[in-house]
Amino acid sequence: MKNPYEVLGVSPTASTSDIQSAYRKLAKKLHPDLNPGDKSAEDKFKEVAAAYDLVGDTDKRKRFDAGEIDETGAERPQHHYYRDFAQSDGGHPYMDTSGFADFMDSDDAFAELLRRGQRSRANRRGEDLHYTLPISFVESITGANKRLTLPGGGTLDVTIPAGLVDGKILRLKGKGAPGAGKGGPGDALIKVEVLPDPRFQRDGDNISIELPISLNEAVLGGKIRVPTPTGDVSMSIPKGSNTGTTLRLRGKGAPQRGGGHGDEFVKLKIVLPKHPDPELETFVSNWTGGRDFNPREDRS
Amino acid sequence: MIITKKEFLTQSGLKVKTLELWIEQEWVIPRDTPSGPGFSDADIARVHLIRDLTEKVGANDAGVDVILHLLDQLHGMRRAFEQLQTHLKDKLP
Repeated sequence: MKNPYEVLGVSPTASTSDIQSAYRKLAKKLHPDLNPGDKSAEDKFKEVAAAYDLVGDTDKRKRFDAGEIDETGAERPQHHYYRDFAQSDGGHPYMDTSGFADFMDSDDAFAELLRRGQRSRANRRGEDLHYTLPISFVESITGANKRLTLPGGGTLDVTIPAGLVDGKILRLKGKGAPGAGKGGPGDALIKVEVLPDPRFQRDGDNISIELPISLNEAVLGGKIRVPTPTGDVSMSIPKGSNTGTTLRLRGKGAPQRGGGHGDEFVKLKIVLPKHPDPELETFVSNWTGGRDFNPREDRS
Repeated sequence: MIITKKEFLTQSGLKVKTLELWIEQEWVIPRDTPSGPGFSDADIARVHLIRDLTEKVGANDAGVDVILHLLDQLHGMRRAFEQLQTHLKDKLP
């Protein structure tokens, strides 16, 4: 170890206050936390601190000057400097990005990278937590109260507004991660996934459904039951309905902004019996009107 | 590791009043935990830093405030720079 006077850059006859001011000057320059990127600063700082421990203390200095103790003072206790944590997760609440906030305003990739690493300072608001909640098609039209079980074991009660569309994100204020200081918690952002329903299709506020009918119902007309999101309703189909004929059930669609509901469109589809029927075959071959009718006439 | 306020006071040797003042000035920022404020190793190291600034460097409260603010910005920049460097390493041959 070097002579402590040399380390501090003072003469052996310097006064206590000169030694202190020399030490402070070096401490300012060499403190590891004031030199986060300079690995050698720590060793130099330790050397200076050890030298000051010895000759900054009047008693120890006297004994050193008298040759009673040598320049190796007691080893200072192991010390973790703040810089060892500052860029790790441990130092996050303190990290401040205002030094390059102006760089982050642009849209380029560099700014994006900076934004990604951004952690705000003290009184940091908690992070927003993201969840996905699947609901049935019917629930998306009528609305529902759902309970979401969180990964941590807790639950969140979510009110699904009537008429919600697939992919909509619901924000529950203050249900996110806790914040630091006075920052307050973040929000829970719940992405609602509407599961497809084999019966219904949605088109804006309207919904549509394809409904199979028998040949008899198509030819003779009649009352049939039609599913809607709010339950089955009865509907009259007119005589001579065809595949593709679309009927409207007013107000059975999704709720509209500002009141009212869309409609449900029922598209009919004629379905013949599964197995060939000899009676039907006999009837059709004797049916003159059917023989003369060519549905592809206007295509020629 | 996250420790309680009591453990933090013992380990850092701070007085309650001093800690409360430092928290108010945002020199130390505890985390919210279910059992009250929680402190980390980084907070302990920060206390050592603040002490070094006042006792060894001779900074007063206003000076500590300025130094901490600049240091926090510097570490923010160092981290951003580090990420940029990592990112560029992936992109460049």
